[in-house]
Amino acid sequence: MDDNLFKKLRILSDAAKYDVSCVSSGVERKNNTVGGIGNASAAGICHTWSQDGRCISLLKILLTNDCIYDCSYCLNRVTNPTERATFTPDEVAELTIQFYRRNYIEGLFLSSAVEKSPDHTMENIYRVLELLRYKYNFWGYVHVKVIPGASPMLVQKTGMLADRMSVNIELPTKESLKILAPQKKIENIIKPMSLINNEITRTIEDKKYFNNTPRFVPGGQSTQMIIGATPDSDKTILSLSQNLYEKFNMKRVFFSAYIPVISSPNLPAISSMPPLLREHRLYQADWLMRFYYFHSEELFTEIEPNLDLEFDPKMMYALRNIHKFPIEINKASYEELLRIPGLGVTSAQRIIRERKNAELSYDSLKKMKTVLKRAKYFITVKGKYYGNVNLEPEAIRKELTQQEIQKQLSIYDML
Amino acid sequence: MDYLYDGTFEGLLTCIYYHYKKEEATGIYSIESYQQNILNRSEEVESDVEKAKTVSDAINKKISREAYEDVYYCFLSSVTNKENIILDFLVFAFKYGRNTMNFYSHDKVLPIKEVSLKVSREVHGFLGILRFSDIEGILFARFSPDHDLLILLVDHFADRYKYEKFIIFDEKRNKACVYSDNYWEVKENINFDNLEYSNDEKRIHSLWKQYFNDLAIKERININNQFQFVPGRYRKNMVEFK
Repeated sequence: MDDNLFKKLRILSDAAKYDVSCVSSGVERKNNTVGGIGNASAAGICHTWSQDGRCISLLKILLTNDCIYDCSYCLNRVTNPTERATFTPDEVAELTIQFYRRNYIEGLFLSSAVEKSPDHTMENIYRVLELLRYKYNFWGYVHVKVIPGASPMLVQKTGMLADRMSVNIELPTKESLKILAPQKKIENIIKPMSLINNEITRTIEDKKYFNNTPRFVPGGQSTQMIIGATPDSDKTILSLSQNLYEKFNMKRVFFSAYIPVISSPNLPAISSMPPLLREHRLYQADWLMRFYYFHSEELFTEIEPNLDLEFDPKMMYALRNIHKFPIEINKASYEELLRIPGLGVTSAQRIIRERKNAELSYDSLKKMKTVLKRAKYFITVKGKYYGNVNLEPEAIRKELTQQEIQKQLSIYDML
Repeated sequence: MDYLYDGTFEGLLTCIYYHYKKEEATGIYSIESYQQNILNRSEEVESDVEKAKTVSDAINKKISREAYEDVYYCFLSSVTNKENIILDFLVFAFKYGRNTMNFYSHDKVLPIKEVSLKVSREVHGFLGILRFSDIEGILFARFSPDHDLLILLVDHFADRYKYEKFIIFDEKRNKACVYSDNYWEVKENINFDNLEYSNDEKRIHSLWKQYFNDLAIKERININNQFQFVPGRYRKNMVEFK
């Protein structure tokens, strides 16, 4: 390893760090190959947390930041005078193995700028996978990006070796894409998505008949879009996500708050703050869609196409639909319990499990560590309502805001 | 009767056996930490593998596999009163059998659940934050967990690094697990001082540190959040925090 490697790693990790996905979950695989190294754990494993509080699970780097495209939101666009670097496939494989042996990482997340052509870049990504799987006998987790416009053959054979693939949808609407990334065609994004989905389905079907059919990206596919660079509403964003989940069986749709690093007439000013709270609310809403049986439509009204920044989406939903509350803890179905603000999957399951023994009281809810701070305004326990204000959106809203202010005051007192 | 055991899991289960077959236990304590008291009668119990197996089989069959795991995890914890948490739980659980695990919030169940959860959280944490260094071809990891969980980590790494040789060293308890060729054993009263890293190894440490520091997005720095995930006490054995 020469010292050049430090410089390359600096440039190419810096360019990859804005990519959100770092999950290593969804694949369970033992180390079954003679001489092999590595396995994959279905629950995923975080290896460390960087100063911004994000979990680091995978070695997340670009193969190259040398790009032929000119997307205005991207630091690597061809017209931006930035330092360029390119890893050789060997360097990436070697680095992955050395980090993996020391338990720094679960595996590799390889992305890339488009160097020379989509096919040239995709070919190099494939080479990295080939080296890792066959030369180093590495069976840890590998997530690779699909380069839009690469030939289906290449995408197909890469997918046979990867655990997860993703094609970035980049922006929520065709119009936004046209303005900010004029060289990227929506067809080139959608095509590989459906190819991946078809291959996944095909290999799952085949596996029913031929036991040794290798699985195509067993960890499924994900995608990512930039939030806040364009005027698209939360409703647009979330109904697109819902569509992606349904049409392509996406495992995850990631949002990335746009961090203004470039000045352009089409983009928010450099001085503007990245919309972090909005991104957080979108993730909460996405969570509701994936685990709480919510449909994106339910979160919005005719007049309000955006999420409430002040309250989490489930609270927002409850306040906008107060006629569906209160919910009786001892009678509600699992799905209904999940609609109560502040009540999560664990609490809901515990309630279901425990009320089989005896009717639950307010005290027993507390003992079960159910967080009632927000939930109490929306439930009855044995018919009794425990909120200290009436079941009216305005009153509850006021009370919750009051609590927030008091909490902040007490923090200042401590200082 | 206060039963005193030798600190092993078999010893603890043997005490449970005597609780049912000989005389009810007023408490179970490890011999080392027991405070003699005029009012209490006590008896030293010798570990008996057969009797311990009878108890562990009974837990698995009459209560559940989950209960057995909770008992074992609780035993590995460093909670001071763990033996009596286990005793209380088992007395309750043998009465309620398979239905026991539905009583999550019950006074006799909640404590063991909480301890067991603490231990399994720490185990899961260390699967990620344990750091190995290559020392002359052997992977070496040093750590000091709150709970005695060395043994719960081994299977994971024995599969992952199946064709490597590795040592995981618990510096708090001076014991280490040594693995090579599909075989591992735990060595007690062991120490590793003055280990030297080669230049190649130091270079990889610096590469990782550089990567780790570069990765933070400065617009989003949130040190408190980072501390919640990686508490200070774990950091001394993690390359990237040195």
